[in-house]
Amino acid sequence: MPWYFYIALKQLFPTGRRFHFFTAISTAGVMLGVALLIIVQSVMNGFGHEIRSRIVDTNAHIRVEGGSILRDWEAVRAEIASDPAVKIASPYAHGVVMAQKDNIPAFPLIRSIELEPELEAIPVERYLRSGHMDLLDDDSVFLSSGLAFTLGARPGSVIEVYSPLMLERLKREELLLPRELEVVGIFESGWQQVDDNTMLVTLRLMQDLYGLQNGVHGIAVRLHPGHDADTVARRLNDRLPMPYLARSWMDTNQDFLFILQLEKHVLFFLMLFIVVVAAFSITSSLLITVVRKTREIGLFGALGGRPREIAACFCFQGFLLGLAGTGLGVVLALTVLHFRNDIVSTFAQITQSEEALRRFYQFVDLPVYFEVRDFVVIVGSAVLISTFAGLIPAWRASRLKPTEAFRSE
Amino acid sequence: MSEPVLRARGIRKTYRSGDKRIEVLRGVDLALRPGENISIRGASGSGKTTLIHLLAGLDSCEEGDLLWEGRPVRPGKGGLARRRTTFLGMVFQAFYLVPELNALENVLLPARIAGVNIREATERARGLLDRVGLEERVTHLPTQLSGGEMQRVAIARALMNHPRVILADEPTGNLDEVTGGVMMDLLLSVCAEAGTALVLVTHNRPHAERMERRLELHLGLLNDTAFAPPAGPPSGGETETGEPDQSG
Ligand SMILES: Nc1ncnc2c1ncn2[C@@H]1O[C@H](COP(=O)(O)OP(=O)(O)OP(=O)(O)O)[C@@H](O)[C@H]1O
Ligand SMILES: [Mg+2]
Repeated sequence: MPWYFYIALKQLFPTGRRFHFFTAISTAGVMLGVALLIIVQSVMNGFGHEIRSRIVDTNAHIRVEGGSILRDWEAVRAEIASDPAVKIASPYAHGVVMAQKDNIPAFPLIRSIELEPELEAIPVERYLRSGHMDLLDDDSVFLSSGLAFTLGARPGSVIEVYSPLMLERLKREELLLPRELEVVGIFESGWQQVDDNTMLVTLRLMQDLYGLQNGVHGIAVRLHPGHDADTVARRLNDRLPMPYLARSWMDTNQDFLFILQLEKHVLFFLMLFIVVVAAFSITSSLLITVVRKTREIGLFGALGGRPREIAACFCFQGFLLGLAGTGLGVVLALTVLHFRNDIVSTFAQITQSEEALRRFYQFVDLPVYFEVRDFVVIVGSAVLISTFAGLIPAWRASRLKPTEAFRSE
Repeated sequence: MSEPVLRARGIRKTYRSGDKRIEVLRGVDLALRPGENISIRGASGSGKTTLIHLLAGLDSCEEGDLLWEGRPVRPGKGGLARRRTTFLGMVFQAFYLVPELNALENVLLPARIAGVNIREATERARGLLDRVGLEERVTHLPTQLSGGEMQRVAIARALMNHPRVILADEPTGNLDEVTGGVMMDLLLSVCAEAGTALVLVTHNRPHAERMERRLELHLGLLNDTAFAPPAGPPSGGETETGEPDQSG
């Protein structure tokens, strides 16, 4: 080992003595910064992942539409289904209706689903809070939790539904009778846009309500895991005839996903300053060391040490402190994240905010997702910043002349 | 007579602080034969430390040249640092041990800087600590040693890389009379055993008297004191060098 690394190690971990207090403090600074960065980024990732999977579950990976009603959709579906990446391609019709129960009106979105879960791109079953898939028929409906709440409906309730087609009939002064549907299930996807105001019915009922005959509005596509929705959408667009357009969920939710990503990057950038501030404490603690050890640094020169070796000694100390702080920070972050649910629930109990957490964030368990890339970036930048923090003291030390060092008191 | 191991010719050194110029050395000549030991005395502020630093190649002078084993020394040039590791050992008044290292590690430090095999060097360092009478203190930290013991460690350290010359700047200055005398015995005997030349800067007349050659730094010149008047203070030593300027 070169002597300057040896001295660096000895100055940090003196023989027979404990870690120096100053160095412990500055290491703790880096540790906290790194831990915070990892925790925040991992939780952000967790939320991001959660949100993305909710989007996929409620929107499907890809939707193929053709401007208006698709009449020859069977052929299109077969074409789509022939792509090896496609797991399920299911037709759907969607729109808006007016629903009423005991004079309480609502204007929910309505969407059709296939009754066989293997044929439906949207995993409704997974989000059914009460009721059962088998119960849905052409005279019944699944309500989202928010809609059920608004209407005061529960399984077994009957609601009245008016479709836009009925308005047409109304203009022709036909007798208008609403469609009576029995609520047979309540679902909750955790995706508020959907949960507030949605109802699910069979395709046949939807075609009836909207007068579509055999037509549908589009084909929803679920992919086998590991396929990129954008790529598959592009591939489908190459194959499908003109009016048909396949759009991935990333494409349709572009703005939202961009904000999600931006938020993460901005947070990273801001939190990185915690590490920078911690690095300043490394700088000052090493500068104190340089001043305290002026005569020793002179001695190294007198014993034949070169200025750049003396500089390396202090740079290496910055690097080591950064490395130690970063390592401890990673350990701390992993520990905190491991016990996150206990921490959150204790916090919720103390502040009595469990209900609020559930309502606003739709979770009580904090979602966490580790991305290797984040770890590499965080660890890399923390160590780099700490090494840079050693540069100023190193420069000071290397410029110290032995003659001046020996004369300093 | 053999070629001098260290030779200085016409060394001039002037300090500038503000407008004031302090001519400390005005043409110092010195030739040190291998294994020779000499003393340099002089009043406080006469430039002894300045001269030692110049001889060690730690500082540069306006005029004059310095040769180590016949080869010129140019401070600030690359390569000098490595030459210094094997040519020179230094002993200081304030010991300058590294507080984080124990006695053995301090003695080993020059070997680490020179980049030699540490296992072999460790054997030698233990031998040197034995030689200076610290076999029981090998793992002690400087804070656990007395002044005299610290200076023994420093002497062992100075000898570590088999130097040709040891420069000692008031090595007994921080020690009491008896310990100082013991330290002089030690320095003289280890240098004699190793054939190392010794330049000793001291205020202490009895210590200086023990050297083969006694020089005096006076008015910026190095004089042979073999023929100087044996008693009485050196005249005018304090006046000529002017007020010692505080330079921080
Ligand atoms: N960096 C400097 N700038 C200006 N003047 C200096 C500087 N270093 C030393 N001097 C001056 O040079 C003169 C010689 O100093 P030096 O330390 O060599 O004396 P010395 O003989 O070793 O004294 P002492 O016996 O007290 O150790 C003193 O007057 C001192 O004030
Ligand atoms: Mg001096």
